[in-house]
Amino acid sequence: MTSQSVNDWQLYICRACGLIYDEQLGDPDSGLPPGTRFEDIPDDWECPLCGVTKTDFERFERPVAAANEATYSQTRHSQPGVVIVGAGSAGWSMAEALRQQDKLIPITIITACAGDIYHKPELSIAMGRGKNSQDLVRESAGQAARRLSVTLIPHTQVVGVSQVTRSVRSTRGTFEYRYLVLALGAKGQSLASVPDAASWRVNHLQSWSGLAQKVQGDRRHVAIVGAGMVGCELAENIAQAGHQVTLIFRDSTPLYPLLPSTAGYRLAQSLQQQGVRCVDGTSVTCVKDFGPPNDTADKRYQLALSSNEILEVDAVVTAIGLKVDERLAKSAGLHYDNGIAVDPQTLQTSASNIYALGDCISLSGLPCRFIAPIVKQAKTIASQMVGESLIPYNHEVPTVRLKVQSCRLILQGIPDQTASWQTVTENNDLLTMEQRIGDHLVAHLEIAEVAKTG
Amino acid sequence: MRSANAIKDFSLGDAADIPDAVRSIAKDELSPLANRIDQAGFYPVATMAALGEKGAFAAHLDRFGARFDVALTAMQAISRYCGSTGFITWCQDVCGLYMEQSENSALLDRLNEQAFAKRLGGTGLSNPMKSLTGIEAMALHAKKVSDGYRVSGTLPWVSNIGHDQYFGAVARVQTGGGADHEIFFLMDIDDQVELNKCPTFSGMEGTSTWGVTVKDYFVGDHNLIADPARPFIKKIRPAFVLLQVGWGMGVIEGAIESCRQVESSLGHVNQYLHNRPEQLQAEFEELQQRVQLLAADPYCADKDHLINVLDVRAHTSELALKTSESALLHQGARGYLMESDVQRRIREAQFVAIVTPAIKHLRWEIAKLMQEPTPV
Repeated sequence: MTSQSVNDWQLYICRACGLIYDEQLGDPDSGLPPGTRFEDIPDDWECPLCGVTKTDFERFERPVAAANEATYSQTRHSQPGVVIVGAGSAGWSMAEALRQQDKLIPITIITACAGDIYHKPELSIAMGRGKNSQDLVRESAGQAARRLSVTLIPHTQVVGVSQVTRSVRSTRGTFEYRYLVLALGAKGQSLASVPDAASWRVNHLQSWSGLAQKVQGDRRHVAIVGAGMVGCELAENIAQAGHQVTLIFRDSTPLYPLLPSTAGYRLAQSLQQQGVRCVDGTSVTCVKDFGPPNDTADKRYQLALSSNEILEVDAVVTAIGLKVDERLAKSAGLHYDNGIAVDPQTLQTSASNIYALGDCISLSGLPCRFIAPIVKQAKTIASQMVGESLIPYNHEVPTVRLKVQSCRLILQGIPDQTASWQTVTENNDLLTMEQRIGDHLVAHLEIAEVAKTG
Repeated sequence: MRSANAIKDFSLGDAADIPDAVRSIAKDELSPLANRIDQAGFYPVATMAALGEKGAFAAHLDRFGARFDVALTAMQAISRYCGSTGFITWCQDVCGLYMEQSENSALLDRLNEQAFAKRLGGTGLSNPMKSLTGIEAMALHAKKVSDGYRVSGTLPWVSNIGHDQYFGAVARVQTGGGADHEIFFLMDIDDQVELNKCPTFSGMEGTSTWGVTVKDYFVGDHNLIADPARPFIKKIRPAFVLLQVGWGMGVIEGAIESCRQVESSLGHVNQYLHNRPEQLQAEFEELQQRVQLLAADPYCADKDHLINVLDVRAHTSELALKTSESALLHQGARGYLMESDVQRRIREAQFVAIVTPAIKHLRWEIAKLMQEPTPV
């Protein structure tokens, strides 16, 4: 008896013909049952292929499927593999999930950006922490592509998708797919009164980096239009970085109608204590730039507000929500409903072999713009391409925590805009509220003053 | 003002009948000329006139119902039998479009002659289209004079032109004060205009393509299409590009037919080829469906519409290259004969792919349009 466990089955290769003897499989045709150790093979046994004896065999280690080997195998693959459109968290998570299951399946990522890996939620708090874009990159695109054996096509726009030819048309040619995964993300919406060329929409590293460069150095005045989560987070963070910030929003309180106005009012108070000027119930009617015509770095902007106030600022940020590129979904003939409609369990779009995840999808008509479920979504999709059985996706609404330091704001559930909020606790330091429909708790929120240190 | 009499002199009949009438002329009269046009430089003026009489160059005009679908189908039918004539069909179509969209009464009075090919007109927009998107410098420049402009410069190749013909051109007006703008005008080819012979091309020789040189050429109100030119070009751009697709689709249609022609005799070996006719046909039909949707609203000003138009144009080039090469592989040596339409079509497809907007220009422009604008 040897001390080897059954997990240590060894392989032996015939030096003459290359046949591999696998202890686990044995050689039943020559009377060696599965599980016959090499040392237990009789001396008169012959290689079933070339007839040499066991003395002409030597130990063989099966090569581990290394990353560069997988890359090589892509070039020989007769079938096109998986094409992923987008290299944000969703795109890279998809590649990770596939590679965990299958070392060889060819993966191509086509992306409009450079493809560097960063954590998008960090963008709204990075300036106050004195970070630059290099600090935010966790892994460069090239490193990630090598690690995961991905063919990365950066700085490339996907223009169309054909279900007939199973191909993706891009600004760098056409790519065939066996499976297509749309991880397009969503783009910052624009306001008709604020030209795109005059305002930043901080939705990816490049635009954040542009804004950060624009305001670096002196104390600048930044106008933020829209007080949703990103608007509020950016406002506080940019103020913390030492700049003058004016937050302009249409409703009477920030985060409305997600938060009832009693809670929104506390948030506005907290932001103001951090130096953010909140201009509520106001919209921007017109933006004009002024300053040296050829020097964009020193360009300043004049905002006319519906309150008749005129603001002069160094930079304008628009944060009024996100929108998915509908044109591409339509070109692919995909069902679109506030995002690319996917099956809530399989994340398959209305077309077979096309899946979607991340910010670009909608589940039962509701957009799904959370970072937390993306890894689960990627596993579900990968399970249908390279796994043994479907790992169904089960959507749970994540807890939302606003990334501000002036207060602690936690929201659970999806508030119903038609239902009223009940106050549970209310004092100077804490407000908790909840929304119920019948006995069912729909949403719960907590906004608390953060104890001052020092 | 439009001249009511001028319109009455011509009638288009039922637009739906145009493609069949055009196809029959293309098949019977144009097809036998195709190699002479392609190689010997024969300019098919008489056939163009016959096609024009049937409405081949009129259906897309507002005046005749803005039937872009019909114009595209007619162009495809012509191009199916002769890619060179398909190309000058596009020239003729867009020149008429410039004249009509100008709303200049002097040009509107001349429109029916153009629409029914009593006169042939070209287009010199390759350079300005590239110039306005930042690919190259503007070739023609203009000086303001009291009653118009004086234009000078050289365009290397303009097709479907000759003496006593005309074409749409654009020149940059240099004011010297940083406020340059462009004018769009119809250049009548008279004694002021010098036509220079082009070097020999590998095909498409019968498109009557010339180098054009002018020095202080006078442009008056009667010839102005748009001043300033940019808003006008922005308006017509999707229609201008979309029409070109009809030309490429004819090349594709012909190439797929060439694959099929040899199926009974060579099918037993052709089965081993990739890009078989039924695969190519499926891709072609999907492309045609996209084109038809876009043709229903040819002047749509949405950015998404323009991206889709540029994409079908790029796809047309790619599919023309793919199908024409596949046709040669399917036909083998018989397709390589000098007289074969199969080898001619390879050169036609190459021209579809390199003429402005070439595949690379289209991708450059799509990439620009899809980029999120930011302040810097």
